Formats: sequence, C-alpha cells, structure tokens
Amino acid sequence: MKKTILFSFLILTTWNSFSQKQMPNVSLVNDKNQSFNVKNDFNEKDKLYVFAFWATWCVPCLNELDAINEHYDSWKKELNMEVVAVSIDDSRTQKRVKPLLNGKKWSYTILLDTNQDLKRALSIANVPYTLVVKNQKIVYIHNGYSQGAEIELFNKLKEL
Amino acid sequence: MYKKIMFFGLLFTCSFLHAQENDTLPKKDFGRVYGGFESNGQWYLNDKERGRAQPNDPLRSNSYLFVNYQICKWTAGGQVESYLKEALLNYNPDFTGVNLGTYFLNYKTNKLDVTAGHFYEQFGSGMILRAWESRNLGINTAIMGGRVIYRPISDVKLTALYGQQRSGFRVSDGKIFGFDSEFQLTNALKFEKSDLSLGLSYVGRYEKTDIPDPNFNELTNAYSARLNYSYDAFYSSIEYNYKSEDAIIDRISNQIKNDFVRSGNALLFNLGYSKQGLGIDATFRRTENMLFLSERVPTPIAALDINGLPTTKLSSEFSDKVLNFTPALTKQHHSLLANIYVYQAQVGVEFKSNQILKAGETGGQIDVFYEFAKETPLGGKYGTKLSLNAASWYNLPGQYRATPADYETNFFGVGTRYYTDYNLEIKKKVSEKLHTGFTYINQFYNKRWVEDQPVEVNTNIVAAEFTYNFQENKSIRFEGEHLWADTDFKNWVGGTLELDLNNKYSFFILDVYNYGNDDINERTHYYNFGGAYRINSTRIGLSYGRQRGGLVCVGGVCRVVPPSSGVGLTVSTSF
Repeated sequence: MKKTILFSFLILTTWNSFSQKQMPNVSLVNDKNQSFNVKNDFNEKDKLYVFAFWATWCVPCLNELDAINEHYDSWKKELNMEVVAVSIDDSRTQKRVKPLLNGKKWSYTILLDTNQDLKRALSIANVPYTLVVKNQKIVYIHNGYSQGAEIELFNKLKEL
Repeated sequence: MYKKIMFFGLLFTCSFLHAQENDTLPKKDFGRVYGGFESNGQWYLNDKERGRAQPNDPLRSNSYLFVNYQICKWTAGGQVESYLKEALLNYNPDFTGVNLGTYFLNYKTNKLDVTAGHFYEQFGSGMILRAWESRNLGINTAIMGGRVIYRPISDVKLTALYGQQRSGFRVSDGKIFGFDSEFQLTNALKFEKSDLSLGLSYVGRYEKTDIPDPNFNELTNAYSARLNYSYDAFYSSIEYNYKSEDAIIDRISNQIKNDFVRSGNALLFNLGYSKQGLGIDATFRRTENMLFLSERVPTPIAALDINGLPTTKLSSEFSDKVLNFTPALTKQHHSLLANIYVYQAQVGVEFKSNQILKAGETGGQIDVFYEFAKETPLGGKYGTKLSLNAASWYNLPGQYRATPADYETNFFGVGTRYYTDYNLEIKKKVSEKLHTGFTYINQFYNKRWVEDQPVEVNTNIVAAEFTYNFQENKSIRFEGEHLWADTDFKNWVGGTLELDLNNKYSFFILDVYNYGNDDINERTHYYNFGGAYRINSTRIGLSYGRQRGGLVCVGGVCRVVPPSSGVGLTVSTSF
C-alpha cells in the first residue's frame, strides 16, 4: 500500500511534463468499416477534435453524448470542431452501437475500439473520458461526466 | 536485462537514422514517454453483524504501472503489476507479488506493424481468438511471442502470430499459431450504396498430451469465416467458426477422456436496420463445444465461494488460459438490482450430473432504439428516448447420455431454457434542469443449469431515476429500484443518491436491502458510500461498504466474489 501511494505520488507529480502529448499511432475502423489512424487522420489545422470515449452500457457516457448532441449544431457554427465518439464496446455489445447511434440521432464520427487498443494506449481506466486534440497535440483531458459538464467543456473549447 | 539492452540499442540506432534523414532540418527527437497508473486497494474489515471475519492479509491492492517509450517508428513498453500483500479477494491468485507483467517492442509503419513480446489480439468477433486485458476482472491473456500485421493496400489486412498465452506471471504450455485476413471489397467491386467485407482466420493450438494413443491430434485447429454486408440503412453479418476434434473435459473429475472427443462449432448471425431516429438489431448465436483453452485441462485453484467458504475453482473460471471470447449476448444493465441475476454464456460441453447435460447454447436477442421527436405528443419539448431489448438463451436440443458420455445435437430448435430478459428503458428530459429515466426488466434465470444452485428464478425489476441540476454544473441524482423474485433471495429494494459538484467532486451513498429473504438473518443491508475527485486524466475514489457475495460482471464476463466489508481506494491516471 505504501508503495502504491508512493507510485501514485510520483506519477501525479510527473504527468505535467508530458501534457503536450500526441495521440498514439493506432488505427481503428468507423461504423462503416473504414479505417482511420487517430494520430494522422484528424489533423486539420486549428480544428478542435473532441475524442469522447464511451460504451453502449455506460449510462453517464450516453448522457454526455446526448447532452452534447443537443448543442452540437450551434457549437459547430461557433467553433471549428468535431466530436469523434470512440466506442470501447467489445463483441458482446458492439452490435448495439449502430442502431443506438441512429436511435439517438447522433451525427458524430464514430470509431470502434473493439479490443480496446486505443483505450489501453491512452491508459484510460474508466469511461466516460474526453480528450481534445488540436494540431495533433492533446490539449485537454477530462474523465467522468456529470450533468451540466458539457457547458464546462464548451467553455474550455472556446479557450483552446 | 539482456533484452533491455537490446531494446535501447535498437532505439538509439533509430534516432541516429532519424537525424540523418532530416539533415536539412536538424531537429533532436528524444521520443516521448507515455502510460498510466491504476491501483485498486481494499482494506477488508470485520463485520460482526454479518459474522464475517477479516481474511488473511486484510490490506490488499492490485496496481498497474504501464510505461511506453516511443521514438520514430519504434515503441517499447511494459507493465509492472503489484498484488500486495495478495491480489484482491477472488482474483486469480496466480497474480501475486510485484513483477513485470507484460513487455513489448513494436515497429510500426503505414503498411507494417511488427511486435515482439506481449500483444493483445482479436480475430473477428473473438470466438476462436481473443487475447485481452480486464483489470476489473483480473484477466490478462496477452500472447507472448511475435506478431506481424501487414497492409499491402488499404483494403487488405493480414495478421500472423505465434506465441504462448500469459497466465499469472508465466505462460501456459500450449503453443498458439494464428493467421487472420480481412478484405474490404467495396472499392474493388465498385459498390456505391452497399458495403462488403470478408474475413478468414485460423488458430492452431499445439499441446502435448500424456494420454497414450490419443484419439485426438496434439494440434487443434480452429477456423473462422465472416462476411459483413450493408445496403443503405440495412446491415448484416455472419460468422462461422469450427474447432477440430479435441478431448472434452469431464467436469466431475476435471480430466480429459480419450473416449469423449468431439469437434466444436459456432454460428453468429446479425441483422439490423438503422436510420435517423430508429435502430433495430437482431442477433442469433448457436455455439456447440466452443470452450477453447490454451491448455486442454484447466488448473484447479483454491478460492472462496459466494458464502465465503473455501472451494476449488478452475483456472477457466478466472478466464485464465482461455483463448477465445464468447460473451453472454444480453443487455448489460446498470441498475444495481438487475445485476443480481446475470447470465453467463454456456458455450462448452458440461456434463455435471445425470440431469445437467449441456453441449452449448442457442438463442438470440433483439434491440430497438427509438426517439419520439421533439414537439410531438410523446416527444414533448425535448423528445423521448426509448430502448427495448429481449434476449433468450437455451441449451442445444438433442439426445444426451451421461455414461458413457455422449450427445447428438440438432441444429434447429431449443433445449432447456437458461435465461430470458425482456426490458424497456425510457429516458426523458423534462426541463433544462431535470432529466428522468424509467426501466422495467423481467428476467428468468435458471440457476440450476447455469450455476448448479437448485433454483429457477423469475424476477420483475422497476427502477426510476431523476437527475436535477440545482446549478449549471452542480447536480443531484436519485435512483430508486425494486426487485420482486418468486424464490431464492426473494425481494429486494435499493436506492442511490449521488451529488456532483463542478464536474470534479462527486459523492454517493447507496443501499440495497434484501428485505424479502425467507431467512431473517440474511435480511441484510448492503450499503456503500464514498466520494471521488476527478481532474484531467486522474481519478481518486474512496469508499466504504459491504459487498454482497455473488457474481461481479463486467462486459459479460463474471467473477464470483465472496461477501466482504471494508474500505476501498482506487487511483487511476495517465501521462
């Protein structure tokens, strides 16, 4: 336990020095079976890419993406931004992704991280987990979602 | 140590080459370090009211430090794991002490991806191969060996691998050979509205056997073929898997028998329709004798049962040395009480008594997602979201004989029912400040056939949820639920109260109470309370409470946990 605490302290103090990191070099397919490289294919200059990690069984994730969806059109008018919703559903629930998207009228770019390669490369312990990429650098990370947090996210996006 | 020196040697070569290439633009590239840390600790306490004593080593934690170093096209990484003083209760006890769990060296270009060391992999839906990690369940079935992924053109992906599966801090005996191919045919066939892709895979497991004159090959072959087709809003996929003849484990003696040798197969079929506002999906799956382990005979492991009493379990029950992934295809509920009776897929041959004779599973599930549009009578001002799900699973129909063991299954039809779940979920935003949700679930759980407990349970569960924002970024959530069951533990009631502040702090208190239990001494409150602090990629959570003995399931894979009480601390972060 002592070691654990020491470990975590070490990491908490060092993580700032690596905050300007890039996305890992991982390729995923979208809901239409097309392959995307998360490092190289989301690279439009000055555009904000919001990578939102979610799963069909994660209620706060669905709440977050539902909440963003309500503002999505107006956000896109105000900012050059795009939401990339990365589903970490494995083959148990992955078939539920496609009907759910449309059932919920989401118009996000969807990526499927079926064996959780991207989740692992980013060391994501739990979803929801949101990160913002600008000019191929991760500029903001937030984990978890509570109702109303989408407003905070938007305010943050305006600053970035 | 030798390996480590090799790693660094390679990395320096790479950075040197890199400097040469960019001669005109001198730039120092020292690469980057990234990874994460996660720790789940538990301090088990006495619980006099329930008569539960502390286990040996009451202070335990599972911790993972994952560090990678990337420079140009090279990545080297490793995961140090610590289980101190022991792994959490009823995690695989093979995870013990502090050790290097996984390590790898990877070289990646647009066309080529080569890994030496540990890697994770899944072919198709995973029914013949999935090497994966789930820290929540204590699963790490990474393969230790080598893998090459080659994409000659963007529409073709070829994978070849060889290695041995990780088990604890060692590897299992079986040698694994794998080959997978994926072809996107849409461009080649010049389809405009439709999409077609094809996949073919092979997995071989070679393990020597002590049985003289075996009636099976030491090399077991598994094949899989899959096809995905979509047209406009319709989509479908079909996957067929075959496993060659292999000895079946006798579940009473936990030995393989030379006179009970059969092949296995699985068929997965999926059909869906999805357009704005409506999604429908139907999945059918039939699996026969599809338990596929990296060692034929699972290892017995000492563990605790749901009453906290010593028992012996098999390594496969910890998902250890399991090569494939055959999850339960049912909805993963979030309501607390809907997770008392959770189905686990029954894909292997299990003859546990003269009555319980299983060869696999057949069944399916249907999902419907629908949104009543805004400004309609049912949609109201903000719209109403509806999801329906129905799942039913059965033993394979056919003739079964306990001694000498034999079976003959039929392709069509169903056998004894294992599980049924019909459920409905409605979500409605009432105002900018108030969100509500309502869930109804009806379950049938054949505990006799799935868990060897002599009951068959019918349940009805109702849950209602309200989230209210008393300020823009401060909210309070309440969920109340009730479960009616006709037998077993009978009725339960539960409630959760959660407070979220500024998207950083959250506090919760929950209680589920088994007030209907026939045994007055078992009418227990299972309470939990705690809080969490979240910032950037870091989350720290602290909680205190009681854990019900039973199944803890994540993603359709379950782990039996004994009852316990205590304090839990979880920390996770990435860098």
